[in-house]
Amino acid sequence: MLQETKVVTELAGTEGLRRLEVYEAHGGYGALRKALTGMKPQEVIDEVKRSGLRGKGGAGFPAGLKWSFVPRDHPGPKYLAANADEGEPGTFKDRWIVEENPHLLIEGSIIASYAAGIDHAYVYTRGEFFTARRVLLGAIKEAYARGYLGENILGSGYALEMTVHSGAGSYECGEETALLTSLEGGRGHPKLKPPFPATHGAWGRPTVINNVETLATVPSIINRGADWYRSFGTEKSPGVKMVSISGHVEKPGNYEIPLGTPVRMILDDLGGGVWKGRELKAFAPGGSSTPLLLPGNLDTPYDYESIAEAGSMLGSGGIIVFDETTDMVRVAEILTRFYAWESCGKCTPCREGTRWMLQIYERILNGGGRMEDLDLLLDICEGIDSKSFCPFGDAALGIVRSTIQHFRAEYENYIRKHKVYKRKFMPVRHH
Amino acid sequence: MRVRVELHPALKQWIEERFARYPSERSLVVPALLEAQKYYSYVSPEVEIGLAELLGMPPQEVHSVASFYSMLHQHPVGRHIIQVCHNVSCYLRGAEDVIAHLEEVLGIKVGETTEDGRFTLVTVECLAACGQAPVMMVDEKLVEQVTPERAEAALAEFD
Repeated sequence: MLQETKVVTELAGTEGLRRLEVYEAHGGYGALRKALTGMKPQEVIDEVKRSGLRGKGGAGFPAGLKWSFVPRDHPGPKYLAANADEGEPGTFKDRWIVEENPHLLIEGSIIASYAAGIDHAYVYTRGEFFTARRVLLGAIKEAYARGYLGENILGSGYALEMTVHSGAGSYECGEETALLTSLEGGRGHPKLKPPFPATHGAWGRPTVINNVETLATVPSIINRGADWYRSFGTEKSPGVKMVSISGHVEKPGNYEIPLGTPVRMILDDLGGGVWKGRELKAFAPGGSSTPLLLPGNLDTPYDYESIAEAGSMLGSGGIIVFDETTDMVRVAEILTRFYAWESCGKCTPCREGTRWMLQIYERILNGGGRMEDLDLLLDICEGIDSKSFCPFGDAALGIVRSTIQHFRAEYENYIRKHKVYKRKFMPVRHH
Repeated sequence: MRVRVELHPALKQWIEERFARYPSERSLVVPALLEAQKYYSYVSPEVEIGLAELLGMPPQEVHSVASFYSMLHQHPVGRHIIQVCHNVSCYLRGAEDVIAHLEEVLGIKVGETTEDGRFTLVTVECLAACGQAPVMMVDEKLVEQVTPERAEAALAEFD
């Protein structure tokens, strides 16, 4: 029976954990003290590099390496953007971390900032995260009062400001360069890379963007060392990962596992298996943007390389489970609508392509689909693929391609029989 | 003709207190627009002009930003906003029934406001609470594991 390996979630459930004194009583801010009073910034970077910590927001980029790209002797301010703009459907770990253990994020952010020579850290939260923002603001206030933020932190001479910044409803702003554009006061449009944010980020200054879970992992690595972190996971995917299990399982929720754990164990032992005693039809392994996998993939180890080899992505760690009764065409329509409505509109292939795909899905679900629509959908996917500034366009393709590939018969059933999806409500875009 | 608009003093203060946190004043435009909705029922052209003045931006640029974000209302809305998630994980656990039931008890469709101006009903994308699906929000309050009955009951405290 698989047990969780709790690193980020270690203190979860502790009474009063949002309060500084409770967090400190459980060893909180010990890693900050260790880093700022006993380690040089380069030593912190080296330790995190050696740990193999990879970004947990979706891209999986090595965190220490990212910090090392920030030019050290660059005059003028440098910034950290902690990405708390969690919006990938099926993912709910970052909001949970902020609400459960806000000081862990703050401590990790200060250590990361110290390592990369950051002057001001912004925590960009989704507009909808009212509670998380309230909790975080309270915790930051405590951290300032205790001398963990502001001037001369712990007598080290290092100074850092921290500010909570709110979005106002936009999936695209979770993409790192769109997040910066939004932070600067614009529509959430991505920027072309290169130049990369590490040298030309927020307000044209060197900027590090890290996911909440990534930052929340840093204190443990500093406390216990890179070798300890590497003792979990696989050679190429070291350490642990939070998984958010949702959909048709008995026990949906957040769990933390060593990377490389077989998907079957995650879903059965932690998620309680498919609900109502039903069979599994498919699952999205890493959020709504990742191509669906099938019951035949259940023994795949849950790490970046193995999930990629199986034809999908580990992404953000949001595992969405679909039981045998699921209407996969309707699922594809829901997600295509999501991508069409949330496309920021900057790049033509994504903006127009996702809308065309939505129109096709609507006619299929209204009983007016044509057999050639399937090839047309795949053709539009081809037209979007890798042709936009940011990964958003590509993110919209996984569900379309994988449902057509694996569940073509369901599409054909709609089209041949002019089957109509009985809508219980009409979706309307709100502004 | 440019109209001169005086923003609510508390809103103005909220924004000005935060100027020092950013290298440019316009960086505050998104949070400021969200905050403005506590004082005005929606982001009207007047609000945009007032913010433009304060943030040193052209009003049309404030409008461009305001029209991008889904939480910034371009039209008058009810006193309370009900946002029900219609995305995949909530769909899988019954969100459609919740939305349909709310439409029925409120006597409005998604996107509409009740005649008494009490509620606006909208759907929302994933609220990052899929472990408790289906979920909805009423103003700033997240309601988890909603059933049609629980959704209806959750409205009672908002008048």
